[in-house]
Amino acid sequence: MGNGKSIEDLELLAIRIRKHILRMYLNDQSLHLGSSLSSVEILTTVVFKYLRRTGDPINRDWLILSKGHAAPALYAALAEAGLIPFEELERIHSINSILQGHPEISIPGVDMSTGSLGQGLSFGVGVATAIKIHGGSGRVYVIMGDGEQDEGEVWEAMTHAAARKLDNLVVVVDNNGFQLDGFIDDIKPKHYLPHVWRAVGWRVHICDGHSIASIDRSISDAINSKAPTIIFAKTVRGKGVVEIENTKSQKPGVEVVKRALINA
Amino acid sequence: MLRELSSMRETFGKLLVSLGEIHRDLVVITADVGDSTRASYFRDRFPARFFNVGISEQHMVNFAAGLAAAGMRPLVTCFAMFLMRAWEQIRNTTARMNLNVKFVATHAGLSDSIDGSSHQALEDIALMRVIPNMKVVVPADSSEIMRSLPKIISEERGPVYYRIGRDYSPPITVDINDEFRLGRATVLRDGEDVTIIGAGPVLWNALEASKELSRIGIRAAVIDMASIKPIDEDTIERYARKTGAIVTVEEHSIHGGLGSAIAEVVVKRYPVPMKILGTTTFGRTAKSQEELIEHFGLGKNSIIKAVAEVMGSGRRSRGS
Repeated sequence: MGNGKSIEDLELLAIRIRKHILRMYLNDQSLHLGSSLSSVEILTTVVFKYLRRTGDPINRDWLILSKGHAAPALYAALAEAGLIPFEELERIHSINSILQGHPEISIPGVDMSTGSLGQGLSFGVGVATAIKIHGGSGRVYVIMGDGEQDEGEVWEAMTHAAARKLDNLVVVVDNNGFQLDGFIDDIKPKHYLPHVWRAVGWRVHICDGHSIASIDRSISDAINSKAPTIIFAKTVRGKGVVEIENTKSQKPGVEVVKRALINA
Repeated sequence: MLRELSSMRETFGKLLVSLGEIHRDLVVITADVGDSTRASYFRDRFPARFFNVGISEQHMVNFAAGLAAAGMRPLVTCFAMFLMRAWEQIRNTTARMNLNVKFVATHAGLSDSIDGSSHQALEDIALMRVIPNMKVVVPADSSEIMRSLPKIISEERGPVYYRIGRDYSPPITVDINDEFRLGRATVLRDGEDVTIIGAGPVLWNALEASKELSRIGIRAAVIDMASIKPIDEDTIERYARKTGAIVTVEEHSIHGGLGSAIAEVVVKRYPVPMKILGTTTFGRTAKSQEELIEHFGLGKNSIIKAVAEVMGSGRRSRGS
């Protein structure tokens, strides 16, 4: 992981990861398909271009999937990284599988048990602070959802991170425009969020969350910046399954997904 | 000095500084109550290891979790009531990951007498006790803080909820020299006729009740159950067998607290009649914690009345 693969390599990996997610869905239609598919390129770029997993806790990088319901995408990436057996992916949600509905630290490659929204950034601020205290070289990547931004704890964490000037902290928001009950603009608009984060003291990027080159440029800037950085990655919920893209419904029929798998 | 009335938070604050000297990885996190908790003494001595996250209890808990995951030894301290705001963070992150975070919850029970019901945590033992991996300790007095907190910080890995009051701390365990051990009760006064089990400053009232009862020939044992989870099942069973009746007393709701924890053991190991003394509703303002203890039926006379009731309620013959 984190070994500086080319954009083309990463694009091929993203296709493989997307296919794993679709196959996992064929085995269990209860997984959060749309929000897993929207995270694919973000996770691919972070895990395979940036994440340095080896070293002690302060000299390695940390990956926190704060939007824990995208666990299938994380598991698929971790399988491609060699940390989870491929055959385990298809057993997701089985009573004797290691792959829980939301990430648990008992799963190889998972740095934080998540699933309850709004908690990952605070944890990341704690890790990034410990790294700073020890003068370590580690960085902390936190993947959040846009719906998750509703949680009050996010405000508590982002203001603290800015106060501490944690330049080793990178947040990527999978900005897919939906939250559980529907379209974000219908529930609680959040278009002002980049302004809010910037006002608080964060460096703010907006990128195309399905373009690895675009994500890469933002992260590259983030790790060289002197402020904590947040990247709003514009994504499409259900990306890769045309029938459900940008819709509330994320439970396509098996035939629809099989077709998407062939076209992927 | 601990032979007189002392202040729990003063004892805690000063002890924290000496623990900071021993443990260089000890970091203290609070949510803008550094002065009130007396964590300020640690702040003044070790400013780089002290974090005031602002009035942000949920973030405070997960921030500490991140520090622990990266190898530090965090101690979170704030008012018990406002830590409960972050119950789900404690449950879902700290406890689920079994992280080495110590929570020292101050101003618990009725100790914040002036501030009133908004500040008086009377449900926290119940809320913490149900969380897997979490241990719960309620020291009786300043002496017991001195005996237990260093051990818990030094030797215990994983989350601990450590509940103390504000200033009121009558001398309860000042003559106890036993080493503190999680899961082990301390018998403060032996007796054969009835057992009074408590935790926290109300043990003072239990001891007063026991002394008065002895004048009319009733020998009441008094047990300090500072370690509420894990709980000393063997001592509870031994005294249930020996005395045949139990009264519990705590500055906490009668639902889910110390009394409930003991009842769970009693029904399993050796059922005897019990009386659970605690609060049944929200607290209120008064000028002192002692007044509130009396007001909510946890004082000496209430304990004596409960003893009379439980002894007259057809208790099980002893030792059978």
